[in-house]
Amino acid sequence: MWEALQHTGWATTLATTRWLYALVSVAHYFTIFLFVGTILLVNLRILGLAARNQPLLSFVEQLQPWTLIGLGIALVSGFLLFATEAGDFAAATPFRFKILIISLAIIFSVAVQRNVSNWDRAPAIPVKAKLLALISMVLWLGAILVGIEIAALTGFG
Amino acid sequence: MYDALLACCRWLENTTWGVTVRGSAWMYPFVEWIHFSGLSVWLATSLSVDLRLMGLSKQRQTAAEISQSLFAWNWIGFCVAFLGGFLLFSADATTYVSNTAFRLKLGLLTPLALFWHVVVQQKTASWGKIENTPAIGKWAGLIEFLLWISVVSAAVEFLVTNAVAHP
Repeated sequence: MWEALQHTGWATTLATTRWLYALVSVAHYFTIFLFVGTILLVNLRILGLAARNQPLLSFVEQLQPWTLIGLGIALVSGFLLFATEAGDFAAATPFRFKILIISLAIIFSVAVQRNVSNWDRAPAIPVKAKLLALISMVLWLGAILVGIEIAALTGFG
Repeated sequence: MYDALLACCRWLENTTWGVTVRGSAWMYPFVEWIHFSGLSVWLATSLSVDLRLMGLSKQRQTAAEISQSLFAWNWIGFCVAFLGGFLLFSADATTYVSNTAFRLKLGLLTPLALFWHVVVQQKTASWGKIENTPAIGKWAGLIEFLLWISVVSAAVEFLVTNAVAHP
C-alpha cells in the first residue's frame, strides 16, 4: 500500500521537483515551530512559568487558532513528504515511533484544551493541570527529537 | 578576507565543542533538537505579537500586553536557539560557510530579521497599546513574519541541498 502511494504521479513529482519539495519542507518546519511553540507557551502558562499576568483562558484563546492552523498544515505537509518515500518511512521503526509520540502528544493537548476553561475559573490552577501540561511539553519536545532522529538514523527525508 | 573567515571556521571546528558535536553520533541530533526547541519558543513568542499586530488574532489582550508578557520567554528561546545554532555551526563551520543558502541565512537574513524584531518589539509598546494597531504596525508585523519565513527557507534549502554527513 505504501509502495503504491510512493509511486503515484503527484508523489513522484514532489520527490523529483526540488523547489516543490523544498517548499513543502519549509511549510512543514515553519508550522511545526509555530504550533509546537504555542503549545509550549500554553503549557508554560499553566505551569505558572510564563505570562502570569495574563488570564489563562484569554491567553489560550489568542494562541489556539494558530495552534490548530499550524498543526493542520504540519500534518498535511508531513503526509506529502512521507508520501515521497512512503515505503521506506512506513517500515522504519523510528518513523513509527514518531507517529506514536505525535498521536499521544495530540491526545494530551486535547485533554489540556478541554479543561482550560475549568482551570481558568478555579481559584488556583490545580496540580493535575500542571501534570498534564508537563507531560504535554515532554511529548511535543520528544516529537521534535524523534523527527530529527529519523533523518539521523535512517537517512530518509 | 574569505581566507580569514575560513581560518576562523577551521578554528571553530577544532575547538573541544566543535570536535565533540561533530564526532558523536547522538550529540549532533541532540544539539539540533536544542536549536529547534529554542526556535519554537522564539518564533511562537515573536510571531504571536506579529499576528496580533496584523489584526489576525482574537482581541483579548493588546499587542503591547502580549509582547510584554512574552518578553522573557522570547529571549530565553533566542538564547537556546543561538546556543544550539552556535554548536551546530562549530561542528562543520567550513561546510556551512561555503554554502550559498547558508551564507544567506546567517550572513544576511538572520541579522536582518533579528534587527527588525528588536525594532518591532520596541515600537509595539506604543503601536500595540490600542485595540486596533495603526497601519504601520500591521506592516511591520507582516515584514517580521516574512523575514522569519525567509530565514527558515534558507535553512531548509541548505538542508535539502547539502545535508552534513555524520557518523
